[in-house]
Amino acid sequence: MLAVPTACPFCSCGCGLYLLAKDGQLVGVAPSETHLISEGRLCARGWAAHEAARWGDRLRQPLLGRNGKQEPACWDEALDYVVTRLKKLLNAGKPVGVLGSARATNEENYLMGRLARAGLRTNNIDFAYRSVCSPILDGIEEVCGRLPPAIRLNDIAATHVILLAEGNLAETHPRVASFVLRALESGAHLITIGYRKTQMTRLASLHLQLRPGNEGVVINGLLAAMFDLDLKERLSTVIGVEAIRRDLDQVERTNEVRQAAEWIASADRAAFLIAPGCGQSDQRDAATTFAELAAISGHLNRSGSGLLPLVARSNAWGAWDMGIAPDRLPGHDLLDGARSRQRVEDLWGKKLPTAEGLSAEALLQSVSGLIVVADDPPSVMPRRQDAMAAMGRIEFLVALDAFVTPTTRVAHAVLPITSFAETDGTFTNMEGRVQKLRAASNPLAEARTGWQVLAELCARFEAGASYSSVSDVLREVGQAAPRYAGIERKLSKDGWGGAMIETIDSTKFALQPSRTTVMEELTSAERPYLLIRDGTFDWGCDPLICYSPTLSRDYRSEQKLFPTGFVEISQGDASSLKLGAGRRAKLSSVHGDAIVPVLVSRDLEPGVLFVPYGFRDHVSSVLGAHGVAAVSVERG
Amino acid sequence: MALAIAKENVARWLEKLLQAGEVVAPVRSSCGDVLFSTITSAEQVVWDFPNSLHPPKELLLPQTDPIVRITRRGQHHEVEPIIDRTRRFLFNVRSCDAKGIAFLTRMQEMEPADASYLRRSNNLTVISLACTTPCQLGFCICTDSGPFLRDSYDAQLTDLGESYLVEVASPKGEAAVAEAQSLFRDATEGEVTQRQKLEDAARRHFGEETCHFASAMRRISTCRVPDALWEKMSDWCLECGGCSVVCPTCYCFSVKDLGCDGTWIRCRVRDSCQYSAFTLEASGHNPRAQRKDRMKRRFFHKVSAQYYKRDGAVGCVGCGRCIKVCLGTTHMPAVVAAIRKGKWHE
Repeated sequence: MLAVPTACPFCSCGCGLYLLAKDGQLVGVAPSETHLISEGRLCARGWAAHEAARWGDRLRQPLLGRNGKQEPACWDEALDYVVTRLKKLLNAGKPVGVLGSARATNEENYLMGRLARAGLRTNNIDFAYRSVCSPILDGIEEVCGRLPPAIRLNDIAATHVILLAEGNLAETHPRVASFVLRALESGAHLITIGYRKTQMTRLASLHLQLRPGNEGVVINGLLAAMFDLDLKERLSTVIGVEAIRRDLDQVERTNEVRQAAEWIASADRAAFLIAPGCGQSDQRDAATTFAELAAISGHLNRSGSGLLPLVARSNAWGAWDMGIAPDRLPGHDLLDGARSRQRVEDLWGKKLPTAEGLSAEALLQSVSGLIVVADDPPSVMPRRQDAMAAMGRIEFLVALDAFVTPTTRVAHAVLPITSFAETDGTFTNMEGRVQKLRAASNPLAEARTGWQVLAELCARFEAGASYSSVSDVLREVGQAAPRYAGIERKLSKDGWGGAMIETIDSTKFALQPSRTTVMEELTSAERPYLLIRDGTFDWGCDPLICYSPTLSRDYRSEQKLFPTGFVEISQGDASSLKLGAGRRAKLSSVHGDAIVPVLVSRDLEPGVLFVPYGFRDHVSSVLGAHGVAAVSVERG
Repeated sequence: MALAIAKENVARWLEKLLQAGEVVAPVRSSCGDVLFSTITSAEQVVWDFPNSLHPPKELLLPQTDPIVRITRRGQHHEVEPIIDRTRRFLFNVRSCDAKGIAFLTRMQEMEPADASYLRRSNNLTVISLACTTPCQLGFCICTDSGPFLRDSYDAQLTDLGESYLVEVASPKGEAAVAEAQSLFRDATEGEVTQRQKLEDAARRHFGEETCHFASAMRRISTCRVPDALWEKMSDWCLECGGCSVVCPTCYCFSVKDLGCDGTWIRCRVRDSCQYSAFTLEASGHNPRAQRKDRMKRRFFHKVSAQYYKRDGAVGCVGCGRCIKVCLGTTHMPAVVAAIRKGKWHE
């Protein structure tokens, strides 16, 4: 039995585990007590990390769309076909693009960036999950600069106060939740902010109830209450205090927010955790305020304190860092920054394209040729049906993946690559820790290592450099993104040996003056309820879950039981509307209506209905392009 | 009659065992963790460690365990069992784990007996090392599963400094010794006395503190644990299932078919009763949909008098692994204490 130490492929906590392999096949997982983050612990997903790669519907050979179906082809033929078709589109002046992935390695993402910018000569590059997590990352960036001063995960256990803008931490990031439980055992105060009761809110010392429209009031109330305290020298690290004080003058300070502010201000160590989905009406604004709160309370430049954006997927941070965004370069530097641009141009030996690139959503709608790597964009993006329909209209779609997904099923060319279990490479977790993935088994059948296929594509588009190993790619990442300089050397030793990317010693934080501090009334007499699309990542759609026999049962049983979806409704509303469990409700908004079964929930406030992210399609006509909509509800 | 083997001869004994079969022993990984793995030479065996976090039960109940091969032949399906007849020696295993294996085997022997498991366990020789210095989190003294064993091993070693005392308890143990008979000698009376002294000292290590299973058992068995307490505790569980993965006495499994080109391998795959859909029925009904009910079920199985009567032991060998592995804070000692006191975190 071979025990291969590697990084967990699921969420962005970055736990370490051993993949167990026997006769070249994955057979299990063993925990590690020596790994800094996991300390012997894993969540249900980690314990089943070996399953999807072994049990999943895997891509074993290149497929080309011919005669109305996907037919097997050899690699040479497939690569020739892909390159010829894409070049034809480029020569015809048609737009092409690349979608990277929050579950691909840093090396794969980096090469995708090189392929797009130096090979296809376009800035049309993005990753689907960015459409979910960028509002909070952008919001934080406004205050903190490019890299938020992250708190180390293990430091969370030693904090005195934790402010959690809650999605559903226990489900999305069990390892973080575990550190929070340890802090609570030692007497820490947990303050949750969220739309519904969750496991974490039940354990909280204080819960600040959100309702779409009141986010600005609640979070700014907290900020205002903080300013009321004597913050003294803490304010020396922030810029823009006076303007913001004026903005906050009229904001209501409830007793609850006063209490929360006191706890935060008096704590030696505090953690600020924010999940995507907080501040449905303006997530970016909510994240900005959240980061400002951390800044003015003095916790952003104090060791043992800090901020963490709770991005869901394992390498979301890495994809972000590799510059997988239309306006960014490796290192997450701005594309129009002269120095960073020059650096990358020198390294790649090519002028970078100047035309503005498109984000994932726009890109799906308008490119003629698209390369999608290790992702199924529709299942991740808020508007799945639109994304799926757009993908169906693309003239030439190439998918590189280890698993069969809805995207690979409709692709015109499919190139089978390795999954996390068969490749070496690195992931960057939410703290900014770069960790090694190690191959535990060989590529399946004719599948090839992802970074090698991408390097080959780069070469065929004259954007090539030769790499003899995946470490060569990481070394080049260090040249393209100075924050990754030296990482390759640090990771070259045996053992877990994660390496933190270099943090910017940002000592000044910029407070943003304009903000929404008044209650927005989203409902009307005609539509008195609010339907919220849950921001919690739908793990059920991820191939690593849906192909795992153990995990798919737990994550996908609802999909089987409710083929037409459901919305959750509070007990009070259910009884006043006479909507018992299993009844169907007709929801109508200004955008349209839908009839869906309801589930009665103890965790919701009256006046609010919730739809899990995985069931968003069933109410997309009601939500329109938004995450929240005012609705009328009647028995359907 | 106890035997003794000089420490310098253990490597030669292991070489003989390696010729006779597969030897599984604690090995240190490149990252510093100790894992029970198949060894190829005696030097690989680690002696200086408290216990491995990953339990050696993996050997008998692998996470992925191929049971049957199903092949399509024309209109028919051919079914053949996948038989593992490898003779194995589990070497340098801790007392709690030896006891855990005995527990599993007792369960699998119950009708209907599990032939696949029993074939493996019949071919397995358990050579344990008594714990002269109990590990930090272990509480085997409360579960009668250590630090020294009176049963549940084939051969038990005790570290006497220069040599190991070897107690042999079964024909399989005798056969393992017989592989290198000349390396063993009869133990002296002094060595036997020394072993007893070491056991007494090891037992004293635990002090007065015990896990109080008896009082928790009374409450659990007579439904005197308030539902509100289960509910409260269940908020401190993150449903990772780690407790069942590492527990030496847990055997929850599910059955899945691995299909490839007209052949299916029916596998037993590890599972946990703590997962939300473990008891989900095809109708959609789930008798234990809430986490508190799943927790209640787990501890009823492990600590109730009803199961104690059947199994002759609590479903816990006091190894302390659940304390290390629990992502929440609801490991065995914490829950037993809460049940006994009737309160949680107050």
